[in-house]
Amino acid sequence: MSIVKKIITFRPSFTVRILTGLISMLILLSVCTFIGLADQTRLNVRAAQFDSRAVEAGAKVYFDQCARCHGVNGEGVEGLGPALASEHFVGRIELVTDAMQQQSIRVIKPSERLKQIEWSGTLESYIESVTAAGLPVKTSNLWDVTHPTFSERFGGPLREDQIRDVTRFIINYGLDPLPNDQALLPPAPGEGMAPRPTPVPLTPAQEAGKQVYVAKGCTACHAIRGVGAQGAIGPNLNKIGAVAEERIASESYKTNLKDQPPATTGAEYIRQSILYPNAYVVAQCPQGPCPAGVMPQNYAQQLTPEELDNLVDYLNSLR
Amino acid sequence: MAIVGQKLVKQIQATGLKATMAQRLDDAFTRFTAGLSWNDVRGVLRGDPPAKPNPRVKPHTEGFWFHIRPTFYHEAVTTLYPTFRLGLLSALFFTFEIITGIFLMIFYTPSPTYAYGNMLDILTNVPFGKFVRDLHRLGAEAMVIIVTLHMVRTFVTGSYKKPRQFTWFTGVVLLVVTLFLSFSGYLLPWDQLAFWAVTIGTSMADAVPGIGPQLNLLLRGAPDIGAGGLLRFYLFHVVLFPLIGVIFVAVHYYKVVRFGISLPPEMEAIGEDTARKVPPEKRVNFLPDILTNELMYAGVAFAILAISCATWYSAPLEHHADPLVTPNHTVAPWYFYWLQGLLKIPHMIPLLPSGIAGEVDRFFANVFGLTPKVFWGVIVGPLMFALLFVLPYIDPNPSRRYGDRKVMLTFGALFAAAIIYLSLAGIPTGVPITGFGYVGGDPASEVGQAFIPDEGVGPVRRLPYEAYVVGKFDINAQPNTGSAGLDRLIRDIHNDMEARKARPDPLGKMLSADASGSLEVKQIQSNLRQIIITIDYTDVNGAPAQFKKYTFLHAGSGYAD
Repeated sequence: MSIVKKIITFRPSFTVRILTGLISMLILLSVCTFIGLADQTRLNVRAAQFDSRAVEAGAKVYFDQCARCHGVNGEGVEGLGPALASEHFVGRIELVTDAMQQQSIRVIKPSERLKQIEWSGTLESYIESVTAAGLPVKTSNLWDVTHPTFSERFGGPLREDQIRDVTRFIINYGLDPLPNDQALLPPAPGEGMAPRPTPVPLTPAQEAGKQVYVAKGCTACHAIRGVGAQGAIGPNLNKIGAVAEERIASESYKTNLKDQPPATTGAEYIRQSILYPNAYVVAQCPQGPCPAGVMPQNYAQQLTPEELDNLVDYLNSLR
Repeated sequence: MAIVGQKLVKQIQATGLKATMAQRLDDAFTRFTAGLSWNDVRGVLRGDPPAKPNPRVKPHTEGFWFHIRPTFYHEAVTTLYPTFRLGLLSALFFTFEIITGIFLMIFYTPSPTYAYGNMLDILTNVPFGKFVRDLHRLGAEAMVIIVTLHMVRTFVTGSYKKPRQFTWFTGVVLLVVTLFLSFSGYLLPWDQLAFWAVTIGTSMADAVPGIGPQLNLLLRGAPDIGAGGLLRFYLFHVVLFPLIGVIFVAVHYYKVVRFGISLPPEMEAIGEDTARKVPPEKRVNFLPDILTNELMYAGVAFAILAISCATWYSAPLEHHADPLVTPNHTVAPWYFYWLQGLLKIPHMIPLLPSGIAGEVDRFFANVFGLTPKVFWGVIVGPLMFALLFVLPYIDPNPSRRYGDRKVMLTFGALFAAAIIYLSLAGIPTGVPITGFGYVGGDPASEVGQAFIPDEGVGPVRRLPYEAYVVGKFDINAQPNTGSAGLDRLIRDIHNDMEARKARPDPLGKMLSADASGSLEVKQIQSNLRQIIITIDYTDVNGAPAQFKKYTFLHAGSGYAD
């Protein structure tokens, strides 16, 4: 009798059936019992894991949406947004795990900022509501823009779960917050409403360059304080004159294009960046590594030589 | 009340209290078992031969549950062959899915706003939640396999032939119901896996000529899957398909009682059916033999399922569904891979040289409005099911014997082989040797996808947080990062890149020989790191190109568990 035949004619006896059935039921019950015994701990462990993954997901949202105005390290960006990683804002927290593996956030030092603005809820509720619904009014002249609405509900790009994730990410800064003197703090209520210092007046050429900047649609992607729309795709140009000089002085500066020699002055760098955007791409953007080829590469055709000169002159004056 | 009391008093006076109570209890017991007294049941459990007349037949006529089962089987069908208990197991899993499904329903809201959060709650806040979800999911996957095997078995033994044609028909309905139940349940977790698999699946409806957009709208509730689509799929999953399933299970079972289980083909004369003409000495009574047999198989099946879910199996849950982000290498559920494979056939007639095939395609597109997608996906795919439905009515051969059915069995084997081949073609890696069905982007992006997949864990996230060292490292064969785990990961990436440099993928794309890479680990927060893979290479046009992909890793995210 071959083994195959043995298998296909398999017919267990009555005793074997009853015993196998009973043993199976016993196994089933013991599996359930063991799962039940360890269940609370496992639920807590999983909850902590999903909480950690929420921080990861929140980091992605932060780098995609928030870092441009609040800084790659949450340190704040002048003219755009205050620090979020500062002790002033997030306070100080620690993660506590109890004997049942349940993890919770313990506040060691509450947020000074919330006390300052007399927010009666939690830090979590504050971050969530500001992220979702924005700040409809300007509280100081330090920033050019009010906080936009980010929730889908108010016409923004983020779902509710993404807002919760990014909130969890920001609260996580509290484990090791930036000292207040390394961060851009917001002004206290009532402060910072004074008029801004008068900027250095522009020359007629620079004034014409400013018109080019607005008219040629640069504002769709770039932002300059107080000038037209505040685009969020390309880098902020508030201080591009100073930044350009820093760039060419840095060690990693080189051009990717064979026919484009490295710029030697800030103005040259700006001109090259407009005409050949891929000649040099900065390594790090708020959203992560900077992608090449995002900026249109046809400005040599779009701009007259005079427009280009004026534009470069204007941009170079921003310091 | 008074009358009952009088009768009781009279009985006690006549036979005594103890005997009366015993007799009354036995009465209640007999009502509960629909005809078996306590002594009958004891006899069953002890394996005693039945009394005459056999009292164990009574539940089959008196009670609901036994009336849908035959009173006896032929001895020849009580061995493992010919049934392999696949029909029984199908019904058991159907019941099992209903029970675990009701448990999950309690904690679930069919709304895009809450569904994913509900899943997290089930995993982190509901006692036995993860266990029951795993059971439900694994049970569903197992049910698809078992129901399919049940059909294969019925085909092979020729049991679909007269008089069981309609039983086969209802069986194919149940197969379709099983597939749709599984498919509609796929969407409910509202994660990326679910969302895109179902988007692919329902896009088939969109391709139907003429009524496609309307059909798609009916199915999804909107041009794209959203709140309306989720609610519809939920109602399909918990109401419509289970209802159709229950009705057809009832019909299917009735047919089994009516015609009996077909005997092994070699035992019958050609064209005859003797399943219900069982000589008394060949009869195996349902009570107790078949019942205990079935309970044993049920016990073993569920014990295996429970052990699997307690040990190696974990139902997947990816990121929250995002209609704006399509993950790389999105696939339909595995039991629809074959359909996805069908869709990858670019021509109406794949065997023709591509020049002529292109002309044929153009001709059909112009004259009948038929594109290859419509032809293979909307016509050939469903036609395969239509073929299954009508199989018993078009098969002219009355014989069930294997020797007489060589053509049909060969055809069946080819059909099965085609399904397996197309299923392999349906997955992004394609069929192993022929490469048919391979989809892949740029080789550099494939390296990124292999190590940091858009969804799922992947090697980079599986390496624990502690194993990473902050810094930037070149990807080479001899990494020296100071961490054995990170060294191994970098070597793996190196080997993967070398393999892609050495051998072109099925589409002929290779990673350029000068490609080099780096892995950078950055500290973002005190317990959060960013891991960036960068690959510099030369693209097909000879220009330098760069590919970057990153992920975040938290100290406590536990992907390695």
